Amino acid sequence: MTRLTMTLLLLAWAPAWAGIPVDPYSSPMWQYNIERYLGNVTSVVLDEQIRVEVPPFAENSSQVPLTVDLKDFSGTAREIVAWVDLNPIPHLFSLTPGPTPTTLLSLNFRVQQATTVRVAVLTDEGVWHLGSAYVDAAGGGCTAPSMTIANPDWEKNFGTIRGGAFSRVEGVRYKFNVMHPMDSGMVSGVPVFHIENVIMRDSVSEEPLLTMTLSESAAENPMLVFELEQQAPDAVLWMRDNNGNEFERRLGGQL
Amino acid sequence: MIARGLLVALFSLIAAPVVSSPELAYNLEAREVAPDTWVIEGSTGNFSRDNGGNIVNVSFVITDDGVVVIDTGPSRLYGEALRRLVESKTSQPIRYVLNTHHHPDHVFGNQAFEPETLYMLETGRQRLREDGDAFSDNMYRMVGDWMRGTDVVVPPNTLQPGILDVGDHRFQILELTGHTGSDMVLLDETTGVLFASDMVFYNRALTTPQSPGLMIWAGEIARLEALPYRIVVPGHGPVVSDDSAFRQMSDYLEWLYQTMSMAASRGLSASEVMQQSIPHRFDGIEGARYELIRTTSHLYPKYEQAALELLPE
Repeated sequence: MTRLTMTLLLLAWAPAWAGIPVDPYSSPMWQYNIERYLGNVTSVVLDEQIRVEVPPFAENSSQVPLTVDLKDFSGTAREIVAWVDLNPIPHLFSLTPGPTPTTLLSLNFRVQQATTVRVAVLTDEGVWHLGSAYVDAAGGGCTAPSMTIANPDWEKNFGTIRGGAFSRVEGVRYKFNVMHPMDSGMVSGVPVFHIENVIMRDSVSEEPLLTMTLSESAAENPMLVFELEQQAPDAVLWMRDNNGNEFERRLGGQL
Repeated sequence: MIARGLLVALFSLIAAPVVSSPELAYNLEAREVAPDTWVIEGSTGNFSRDNGGNIVNVSFVITDDGVVVIDTGPSRLYGEALRRLVESKTSQPIRYVLNTHHHPDHVFGNQAFEPETLYMLETGRQRLREDGDAFSDNMYRMVGDWMRGTDVVVPPNTLQPGILDVGDHRFQILELTGHTGSDMVLLDETTGVLFASDMVFYNRALTTPQSPGLMIWAGEIARLEALPYRIVVPGHGPVVSDDSAFRQMSDYLEWLYQTMSMAASRGLSASEVMQQSIPHRFDGIEGARYELIRTTSHLYPKYEQAALELLPE
């Protein structure tokens, strides 16, 4: 190979990752997952205002808490995408906020091994702002059978939803928990069975407050927290799993 | 001469890794805390490749009719060193080897002792059968080569709560639950030494992976405190001759409980609880942040559930 062809090859290769900064965590999946989840030609900046909070180690690889705190973020989030770099299916969730900004969200995820976790936030300008965190783990969370499977009475609790609304200095925090095995499909003989869609609506205007899709990295019996900058008069939660089960509940009114 | 010097240097370079390969050894030392009563105090650190898992207090009592050993340490290597240490202090035979609860740092030295001398409460034996292999995997991961040759040995003998007379010592055996669901505590009525096992951590953050609940544990601490003891040997941390270990445990359990309850009533996420500030009065407690992260994983989901309302369809 001549020097010229090598240079040409490099030039041809360059545009694909021209907009991607160097990964502070040097993950082997950095570029691959960015292209996979954010698209091929993207503008990405590292942004410490995207606070990604995970524990330094996973005490339980099937339930690792993640909180995404956007209170310090100066931009307006149009879309939020999260993934777990070294999981078999890295994608965790994609979330589209409604007209009221989502300032914080939290859920538990599974880890298959020690890994970086990424949260990318798309702004009006078309730039992805990316925050990262690292969690150490013995692993195996994605391929461990759910606790639900071990419980012969699981159908009794299936779809049970608990929730609450908590007032904040600015806005409101919704928290809810749904009993669902969230089977990842990675345990022999147990097909994938998990909640894919979560929508919260303002019950008066019917406008979505946020729309979320969940993937296999989300943990069993999800405990979800959403904090919105303004309080909706009354919120309705709607979810659907990949088997077509739908769940709908009123969330507001307890403040 | 220069050539020879080079040759020697070269040779030692090649030989060095073999010659200097460190022999792992625990170098256990026992302290006599009361007549016939010896305690081997471990560090208050966490399991690591540096300490070989020697983070635990192990004790033995030399009666005039044999030795009672209380817990066996984190590995076969530890158990063997423990046995040599006991045998260096007395010619009395080892009569009873008691496992206070099923956690690996207390029972993984069992191999070094005669099976017929090994005793444990019935529930503890069951738990060790269930969880032993998973604990073992985890210990090999965290402690590494120190664990070489270690296998799980479930004591073949069941010990009942009540009175155990061994030679000139009378022990009161209690079965409590706060730490693992089956926690053996021994009061040596002859000396007033209370072997509190992991029901009491002192200057070391308590651990909760199998705890049935913080308030259950706190209630049992009150029960222990009422016993006629003179000296307390915690499962982890220094031996004390007053109620300071109990006071710290009650205070810390109460704080953990309040932290979890308040956080749940404010709708906090688990990651937010893990970052809660730890009061300065607990500065002397090693591993408090690390264990708060673990305890949040183990126990916070129940508090969260309780703070939410069932939403009707």
